Amino acid sequence: MTHTEGLRERVEDYSLLWSLVLVVGVLSVLPLARLLEEAIAPGGQFSSTVLVRVLSSAATWTATRHSLVTALGGTLLAVVVGGVVALLVSLTDIRGRNAFVFCFVLPMMIAPQVVALAWLQVFGPSSPLLKLIGLAPALGSRNPLYSPEGIILVLGIQYAPLVFLTLRAGLRTMPRELIEAALAGGAAPMTVLRTIVLPLMTPPLVAGIALCFVSCLGNFGIPAVLGIPGNYPVLPTLIYQRLAGLGPAVLSEVAVLSMLIGFIAVIGILLQDLMLRRRDFRISTTSSTARAFELRGWRLPVEIGLWTLSALVLFVPLVALILTSLVSSVGVPINSATATLSNYDFLLFGHDAARRALVNSFSLSATAAVAIVMIAVPLAYFLVWRRSRLLRMVNLVTEMPYALPGVVLAIAAILLFLKPLPLIGLSIYNTVWIILFCYLARFLVLGLRPIISAYYQVDRALEEAAQVAGARLMRRLWTIIFPLVAPAATAGALLIFLTAFNELTVSALLWSSGSETLGVVFFSFQQGGDSTYAAALGTLTVIVTTILMLSTLLLAGRLPLGVLPWRD
Amino acid sequence: MNLKPLLRRAVVVSIGAAAAALALHTFGQAPSGKLVLYTSQPERDASQTVAGFKKAYPGVEVEIFRSGTTEVLGKLAAEFSGGQPKADVLLIADAASMESLKKDGRLLPYPGANTAGLDPGSFDAGKTYFGSKLITTGIVVNTSAKSRPASFADLANPEYKGQVTMPSPLYSGAAAIMLGTMTTRPDLGWKYFEKLKAQNAVAVRGNGAVLTAVANGEKPYGILVDFMAFNAKAKGSPIDFIFPAEGNPAVTEPVAILKTTQNPAAARAFVDFILSDDGQRLAVSMGYIPARASVGMPSWLPAGTKIKLMPIDIAKVAETNAANLKRFAEVFDN
Repeated sequence: MTHTEGLRERVEDYSLLWSLVLVVGVLSVLPLARLLEEAIAPGGQFSSTVLVRVLSSAATWTATRHSLVTALGGTLLAVVVGGVVALLVSLTDIRGRNAFVFCFVLPMMIAPQVVALAWLQVFGPSSPLLKLIGLAPALGSRNPLYSPEGIILVLGIQYAPLVFLTLRAGLRTMPRELIEAALAGGAAPMTVLRTIVLPLMTPPLVAGIALCFVSCLGNFGIPAVLGIPGNYPVLPTLIYQRLAGLGPAVLSEVAVLSMLIGFIAVIGILLQDLMLRRRDFRISTTSSTARAFELRGWRLPVEIGLWTLSALVLFVPLVALILTSLVSSVGVPINSATATLSNYDFLLFGHDAARRALVNSFSLSATAAVAIVMIAVPLAYFLVWRRSRLLRMVNLVTEMPYALPGVVLAIAAILLFLKPLPLIGLSIYNTVWIILFCYLARFLVLGLRPIISAYYQVDRALEEAAQVAGARLMRRLWTIIFPLVAPAATAGALLIFLTAFNELTVSALLWSSGSETLGVVFFSFQQGGDSTYAAALGTLTVIVTTILMLSTLLLAGRLPLGVLPWRD
Repeated sequence: MNLKPLLRRAVVVSIGAAAAALALHTFGQAPSGKLVLYTSQPERDASQTVAGFKKAYPGVEVEIFRSGTTEVLGKLAAEFSGGQPKADVLLIADAASMESLKKDGRLLPYPGANTAGLDPGSFDAGKTYFGSKLITTGIVVNTSAKSRPASFADLANPEYKGQVTMPSPLYSGAAAIMLGTMTTRPDLGWKYFEKLKAQNAVAVRGNGAVLTAVANGEKPYGILVDFMAFNAKAKGSPIDFIFPAEGNPAVTEPVAILKTTQNPAAARAFVDFILSDDGQRLAVSMGYIPARASVGMPSWLPAGTKIKLMPIDIAKVAETNAANLKRFAEVFDN
């Protein structure tokens, strides 16, 4: 390598690095900084009164405690469910694997508040299921889901696919030699799991846990449906209540509370960093995945267990949704005389906004997913392989916009973009672009975490060989690194797409005529008492997504191995 | 150069312009351009209102932001803080929020608004906001429920323990007014809400959630706005609406122009439309009681029925609103 070429390489490196830092700065730091300004200097004047008032209020600390309890509990449940399912699906010889994966991931498509409502009905006095087995609680008895345990249960179910997808992408790269060597050496399957699989899978597992924790911490829909009636406030619902007031101090109070959430999220991510830095997780990948453990006599019970779980997680809310969508008004008992398609007719032919929302949400989520993967693959390269203090900060701040409740990020975006952009003089306020900005900021971490975990498992030798052969960074990223991290990248893109497609809290404040999102229209119907329209829209969403997910199978032959989680 | 034709043309043009101006003055300035509306109306009603307005004023292009009262106020708060409110007109559930916006000097008076035939209590004396309809709050019951409570007070009886749901005033503007109205009454007061809480009444997020819970039988009794109950009943939901003995607390869903409006002509036209007979009839067709009684009543209300309204002092409710919400949050821990 000549001197000038080395220089060129370094210039390229640095310009890529700094443009990525700039992107993260704009997406993650800018909104937060604007919010911080509102917290400590409301109206441009430094003042600590709001800060002191909020931090000395008992309600703040109660909500903080509740947030920690539900976030930790929900994470634990999601990790146990998602983790066990991922291991069983990826490492054993169960049948119908692809169909199961498909059904296990689909619930992410159903909005959290729908899931919460469906579960309420399952456990409520009017539950058809409990009535059937004679266990229905007495009329008027308190629904057991209106409790911290209820919130934890629904959060855990909602986010189990998150752990599942991250871990499954990791398991795809599990080298078969190690497992086979251990088995040949006489180790029991559980020993192999404990001493080989789990240690090697620490990066994706930790990434899944971290994602789950911030998701539970920032979730608003589930504690809103279950926690408000249950008198169990958490930080996101407390923030929402503060917003209900109108006045100069509202935004500052909201900003201070948001900082508190951000603080908890940062502690979580620091712990994650600590866990990953202690060891070396690199594995050299082979093209073939490990031979499945034979479950023998256990196969059928395990399969029944998995499908029961899937029935609970997917079919309960889905059936509730579909049944509601088929009656003329909420509460009408469904039978052959009352069933009607009028709600669908209204949505498809009588209501422009619903159709527009479907198109908007689809293009917004798909754009966000692709753009984030394109940012995250090179960014993770620097974060994992070129550590520095600056990069550690970058890693931390990407987490923040996701941990904050969406409504707070939306307010930050309003404050930022209300006035036309400097230099170019264009305004993105009240356009679809401000929503895209927030999606990129908010969901960056969903793409970044799985990809980072993939880098931890990649042996750098391949990339170094390409470098010695003279391939420059961009070329190495594209031809060597991207194929290696592709399964994780699609897992990330999928997480982003599924989450953004139903997203409500960000766009609730940012949409304008013509740029409605599905979540907004869905919520509007529900709020106006038109739950049947909402249910029909929810059902349509699930149908459209199912078709989309199935149609990816047509492309499967051209994609690198292990990219689609629902295809072996 | 002969200036004569040019001069003649100038004269013709100016006469024409004057005539046009006169004509416009006589028939009212035809408003045009963009109008931004922030509203908390339900989705379908909001789009019908806009469609009706555009039919009456085809020159105006309406941009709409629709959400719950909390979100609308949150967006406005952020826009005020950023120094550039984008909304021209507001159409939100309760007058108390309007009153506090007025106090902060955010609203533009419209002295020329057509208030003839309106109840004087339904609009602001300073002509900054105007009630567009009447939305009353009463009791909703599932048709399979055992009893029929006759009054709000009944709902706090032990008989209804754990069976009552209501919209949280922290999320619903109509519920906030209900709270402000009921807590000042000696027969109800804060005592009433404390009793409700002791009976495990559940405060949920908004009127839509109350309707869903009662119609599904999850809670047999609820506190709900009239039109939502009657519209659902008309479509087959198994519910009944009861006008409580104490009378119904009511909101007026006022319309107002923001002082910072970029298009005052179109904004005034919007207020005109809402208060016009056409606009009022549209409200009736959506199932609302109109502000202008002369256009008729919704079909669910038998002709000649007089709904007993709880008297309300909007200025006072606006003043105590923040403290009320805080106290409610403490009583209901929510």
